[in-house]
Amino acid sequence: MVVSPLPILLCLPLVVISALIGMPMVKKLVQIREARHELKRNSTSYIMGIAGWSVIAFWLMATWFFATILGDWAATDDAAGAIDRSFTRLWVLLQIAAEVAAND
Amino acid sequence: MAEVVQSELSCPACGGQRHFDPAAGLLSCDSCGATEDLSSPWDGAAQKEHPVHGNTVPATERPSQSADTADVTHVQCQACGSQLTFVGLSLSERCGYCDGPVVRKDPDPTYAPMALIPFAIAQDAARLAQDQWIASRLFPPRDLPERVAEGTTRALYVPFWTIDAQEATTYWAKKTVRSGKNTRVENISGEQVFTFDDLLMPASPLVTPLIRDGILHEFEPARLRPYTAGYIAGFAAEQHAQTLADGLAANRKDRRLLIRNRIRKKYGWSGVHSITFNTDTSGVHYRRILLPVWITHYTDGRGVASKVVTCGIHGRTYGERPFSRRKVLAASMAVVVATVLFGLIWGAGAAL
Repeated sequence: MVVSPLPILLCLPLVVISALIGMPMVKKLVQIREARHELKRNSTSYIMGIAGWSVIAFWLMATWFFATILGDWAATDDAAGAIDRSFTRLWVLLQIAAEVAAND
Repeated sequence: MAEVVQSELSCPACGGQRHFDPAAGLLSCDSCGATEDLSSPWDGAAQKEHPVHGNTVPATERPSQSADTADVTHVQCQACGSQLTFVGLSLSERCGYCDGPVVRKDPDPTYAPMALIPFAIAQDAARLAQDQWIASRLFPPRDLPERVAEGTTRALYVPFWTIDAQEATTYWAKKTVRSGKNTRVENISGEQVFTFDDLLMPASPLVTPLIRDGILHEFEPARLRPYTAGYIAGFAAEQHAQTLADGLAANRKDRRLLIRNRIRKKYGWSGVHSITFNTDTSGVHYRRILLPVWITHYTDGRGVASKVVTCGIHGRTYGERPFSRRKVLAASMAVVVATVLFGLIWGAGAAL
């Protein structure tokens, strides 16, 4: 297996940017937890509190998607090929994202 | 100068000042400890709901005075003779000199409470519940427990509406259905009567709808008692600043959200979107009541005024809380690192 250092180095900005973007998502996660455990079931605040959870899934899916490209690139040392191969994953992710959005 | 109820609140045995004791559920004398049960054979009448016919607001609900919260009323303490100031729609205070409970007499009938649920939780129990609530927060700033401990805790009867309504609803929506690789959108429509019973609507900015849903999970009309000065003696109390029309308008937003939710639930939730509906509201009944809460006001590390509220009936607690940025970033970083590692391994394996 070929291990190229560049994609591994690129993981660093991915982690930093995704972690910064993820801060409101973590707060949202806490709010959802509090809504589920502490707010009156089916009240207006409960409904509004748990709504919007799909953004957390989108954030994680996007982070995972870019990481898979970097992993593929690191293993094959072929950036263009890694991007080409990611389209299948992207299609599957978009299907999952549509399902997630429909359930939010 | 406005009139106050005070002599009725003094102890018939020793003339001492009395306050309502939440733990005992009785009016208790501060001097001799004598108690009085405030319950009466007419307590059941407090549960009565008042009808609104069509869009006609009852004559009793037309303000005879402004609900301006900047209004100031001066009253004289009958125990020590000092002058007290009632600000805005305040109904009850404690005298700053003798600490005696002073309750305002004959508030505007338009805003006067019809009933209340008396305090059943004492201050110690409320503070304990608040401490436990704060301790169970995820990612709080390190100094949050100390800041809340330094906060001021007040007992307050907060104005609420209870509203019943029937909403005859005609609705239209779309539902996206997926089967295999095919996706189709179905049109949905229907008619249904949605019934709402005893929806609680706060009529004070001190209790937001979010805090309401955190502290009031169940409402038991059987606990309502007719509004009398004895129940609020020793506690702060606030009249309704809202007219019934304002209360109904605020509650309408809640009802529309709940109707939208019930329509989604009826059709299996998933994929239901573009919901529109018309409603015809009937059977509106209301009560103008006071509910007991313990409110702790504190200032968080950014200087933002926040509050933690405990229900004075069951002790359930909810409030506003800040987050520690550092802890949130660390949690976000941990989740991202795990996700990136999973992605790297997946990509390197090129499973998909």
